[in-house]
Amino acid sequence: MTSDAPEDEPEHIVLHARDVEFDWTRMDLHWIPGDPFATHTINVLHLLLPEGERWFVKVFKEALPYIRDERLREDVLGFIGQEAMHAEAHAGVLDHMDAHGLDPSPYVSQIAWMFRRLLGDRGLTGAKAESWLMTRLALVSGIEHMTAVLGQWVLDAEALDRAGADPVMLDLLRWHGAEEVEHRAVAFDLFMHVDGDYRRRALAMVVSTGALFALWVRGVRFLMAADPVTKGRLKPRWRDILRTGRQGTTPNLWRLARSVPEYFKPRFHPSQVGSTAKAVAYLAVSPAARAAEH
Amino acid sequence: MKHSSRRYADPPFPRDLAGRDRPDPFFRGLERLLNGLQPVMARLGGAKYPDGGASGAGRELPMRVAAVDRPAEDVAALRLEPEDGSPVRPWQPGWHLDLVLSSGAVRQYSLCGDPADRAGYRIAVRRIPGGSGSGEVHALEPGARVAVRGPRNAFPFARADRYVFIAGGIGITPILPMAKAAARRGAPFRLVYTGRSRAALPFLDELPSSPSGTVEVRSDDADGVPGGAELLGAPEAGTAVYCCGPPPMIDAVRSALPDHPSLPFFWERFSPPPVRGGVPFEVELARSGRVLTVPADRSALDAVRDAVPDVAYSCRQGFCGTCRVPLLSGTDDTVALCVSRTDGGRLVVDL
Ligand SMILES: [Fe+2]
Ligand SMILES: [Fe+2]
Repeated sequence: MTSDAPEDEPEHIVLHARDVEFDWTRMDLHWIPGDPFATHTINVLHLLLPEGERWFVKVFKEALPYIRDERLREDVLGFIGQEAMHAEAHAGVLDHMDAHGLDPSPYVSQIAWMFRRLLGDRGLTGAKAESWLMTRLALVSGIEHMTAVLGQWVLDAEALDRAGADPVMLDLLRWHGAEEVEHRAVAFDLFMHVDGDYRRRALAMVVSTGALFALWVRGVRFLMAADPVTKGRLKPRWRDILRTGRQGTTPNLWRLARSVPEYFKPRFHPSQVGSTAKAVAYLAVSPAARAAEH
Repeated sequence: MKHSSRRYADPPFPRDLAGRDRPDPFFRGLERLLNGLQPVMARLGGAKYPDGGASGAGRELPMRVAAVDRPAEDVAALRLEPEDGSPVRPWQPGWHLDLVLSSGAVRQYSLCGDPADRAGYRIAVRRIPGGSGSGEVHALEPGARVAVRGPRNAFPFARADRYVFIAGGIGITPILPMAKAAARRGAPFRLVYTGRSRAALPFLDELPSSPSGTVEVRSDDADGVPGGAELLGAPEAGTAVYCCGPPPMIDAVRSALPDHPSLPFFWERFSPPPVRGGVPFEVELARSGRVLTVPADRSALDAVRDAVPDVAYSCRQGFCGTCRVPLLSGTDDTVALCVSRTDGGRLVVDL
């Protein structure tokens, strides 16, 4: 990270995976009480992340032989373990949805196809395969900018506590969010180390944020239609995202949109956004993270 | 787990989500986009290493032992300075470095000097009976050459309203710069420093004295072995608790932490526990036919890393699954290299 960070912003953190577990037996399907829309808006994460983060792991494992810097290699290995744990933690929530009558598999299997086929190795070899790996590293770096922004959001989202959101779900989201903030520079540093091509970085960001936004809208529609309690009677409307964004129970759309252009600044570095101090402070109180360290 | 990775291992082309019997047009579009993107990106080439490779922080830095001090029984404090006189890499309280000894052993030690001093580092090492690394460090004399990697941060010191610092014996090393920083900042703090006897406690003369904080030094021989609640005291909300010392002390403090208010608890984390009670065994790398011998005190992962430097791993404790590889011998499909052993037999892995 940069040396112009404030004095009490911890830097160069050794990343390590935490052996977390979450018990969903007491959680309601609508874990933000009385607000299926806000619940499902955040639930889209559980649909996207298990397959998405498994793909991160796969891409980063492929990139290991390209790393020429020992510190970066350590960061990448720590990142891989953290993302592997994130994927399985979110997959556990899919089982909870299913047990409550909401089968997520039609949507998740689409996402699986996207990551495993469309964004897989595409059967390429030689120079084309290497270039495609660089492109996927640029895509991961772009997505990681958004996960860091979302991670910081959920660490700060006191409105979720006020709304009575389920404490186990909040812990999952904040543990994950905190690790996203903690490792927010790794994917960017890796891309800049091996390639750093600005055109690739920018183009990948356009594609990844565009796709992410579309998948999110589709995910909310899918969940609201498949919800066994509201039975599709509640249609998600654009004014719902404005309402919950104002309340603070979902990310504010305008603020999210504003975080995209930052990434295009030629001198951008992830350490310029978000607070490692806040992330490590949450990891030091998180029930799951604390139970994992013994 | 029902929605495990295996369930989605071979996904079909996405069908329409609304239930119509047709391929999903959204993914048709996305496929077209990616099919166009890949050749465009291919024109940008492959790995270019714009900065040429290693950043420096990953490189070993040759250093010289500039001074050796004995601040307490069985404790050696070393001042290390770069061989070429260049300034050391900057650090924050809580950071540690890897000391690479001439035997090849690598040990991690907290930096316990002044972060503003860029001319060198200070570390302090307690001699552990039978410990090969600490014995080698204690034998170092001024002028000896060592190599250093890092420093890195495994014990982040973050801004809090107030602090409780708990140090047991040599555990003072990361805590000392933290307490000094809190004192300099005027942040309220309480430092509890404990050990077998006062003679075993290094740096008693350096503990910060500040109107914003209190310092308590206690020793088991005079005050008895303290319980977790005694060490912790009654911290108010907003207090961050930093603890470094022997594992039983950390456990005692952890279990004394109140549920309300929930206080951030930071403790020093060391490398994975050494293998104990293992027996030597062999790992065969099926793709090359190479057979590696895994000594009793190393893991299969350690041995494989020597042969295959790019092998992926992460947690080294068996839970994250990163180092799972297909197993070609025995009954299991896969094996986690970091924790799996045999009673002397051979593991054949697809590597
Ligand atoms: Fe993640
Ligand atoms: Fe991430």
